[in-house]
Amino acid sequence: MTKHEITLKVNGKLHELKVEPNELLLNVLREKLCLTGSKYGCGIAECGACTILVGGKSYMSCLVPAISADGWDITTVEGLADGDKLNPVQQAFVDNSAIQCGFCVPGMVVTSTALLLDNPAPDEEYIKDYLRGNYCRCTGYVAMVKSVMDAAAKMKCDQ
Amino acid sequence: MKNFTFIPAPDLKTALNILDREKEKAKPVAGATNIMVDIRDGKLNDKILVGIQDIKELRGVKFNRGKIYIGALTTISELADSLLLEKKAPALFQAAQVFADPIVRNSATVGGNIAYGSPAGDAVAALMGLKADVIVARKGGKRRIPIEEFHTGVNKNVMAANELIVAVEFAVNPHSAFYKLALRNSMAISQVTVAVSVRQDRAGKITDAVIALGAVAPKVVRAYSVEKAIIGKPFGDEVIAAIAPALKKDIKPIDDIRGSGEYRATVAPVLVKRVLAKACGVCLNEGRNAK
Repeated sequence: MTKHEITLKVNGKLHELKVEPNELLLNVLREKLCLTGSKYGCGIAECGACTILVGGKSYMSCLVPAISADGWDITTVEGLADGDKLNPVQQAFVDNSAIQCGFCVPGMVVTSTALLLDNPAPDEEYIKDYLRGNYCRCTGYVAMVKSVMDAAAKMKCDQ
Repeated sequence: MKNFTFIPAPDLKTALNILDREKEKAKPVAGATNIMVDIRDGKLNDKILVGIQDIKELRGVKFNRGKIYIGALTTISELADSLLLEKKAPALFQAAQVFADPIVRNSATVGGNIAYGSPAGDAVAALMGLKADVIVARKGGKRRIPIEEFHTGVNKNVMAANELIVAVEFAVNPHSAFYKLALRNSMAISQVTVAVSVRQDRAGKITDAVIALGAVAPKVVRAYSVEKAIIGKPFGDEVIAAIAPALKKDIKPIDDIRGSGEYRATVAPVLVKRVLAKACGVCLNEGRNAK
């Protein structure tokens, strides 16, 4: 199969890549760019572990043929922190120990970051609804929802 | 790595040319929320995926002369955020709010939900309740298909292999409503969905009613018998009593993992009553203190 050349901007850095016509964006991120934060969970957009941000909106990268992502400006979980400084959601997850096995956490944190961009003052129900595409099989949801509330409160104070 | 190949189509003309050339081998793809699942399940093999997601002319919600025109690539998120739909076509707006989950909604498109043709397709049910037309293009032409004639069975439709859904269009109707019954909130596939739009005269008499139900037949269906039984009457006890017997003729629910046919047949008339009341602007008193 002929390879296609695509350009991706990932976490602020431009990458020129050659990809197969049947390659998925998640695999490109993980295997070619070594950004293994985004996880391969279900592969069918049910678990949310592969969630990335494009233009501030959340997308599941396991669904996206790599060629169709040509020109995208992507933020993965690796791009959320500013150097050593975690973003408010990440910091709140740490502070609340909202991490058990950790597999779902990158997706949770990315989706929660999109949530706060959409709605900086969410209530608990809003958060539960927004996170319904992200599964945590340790069922650590309570601490996660609290973390998002805390992150929202922190961001409000910091303004 | 999966068994498909991918060709990007930057504009409609290119997409239609590829579909015309490759016919059954080709499969248009935008959000891929259903297609990638089928590829992983081995249900779709060796297809040429035609990437249509960047075709700008197929995107957006437009309002003109009492009609709403929605490009096929408009995402469910865009519907869920549309104040225009909230006001002028609440049935579709409400369906978008409960569609899959917020992440999937960013990728999933109106055209994709129609093309996939699930009997439980939430956008399909809402659009049928609004009596929408599906506008389909092929190389050298376009045609318009009423959405109730579009599907012929589970995942089956009347489109030829060289055709592509480009838009849906329907007359605005603020007196429309939608309800989805599902087992849980998260990523749930509907057990029963109901979409209703009505027109009433000044006295409150129903002069026109469109009722669509999802997940109670091999495709989303219109409840023609119920519509016929209630037109000409105001919403009230007589209309409520007419729903259940008429609905029996309109739906054929089956047993599946999400519920039994018997359960669906029992709850469907109740949901039709509630959604119809909402569309008519009537508050039902069904609680403990109800008559």
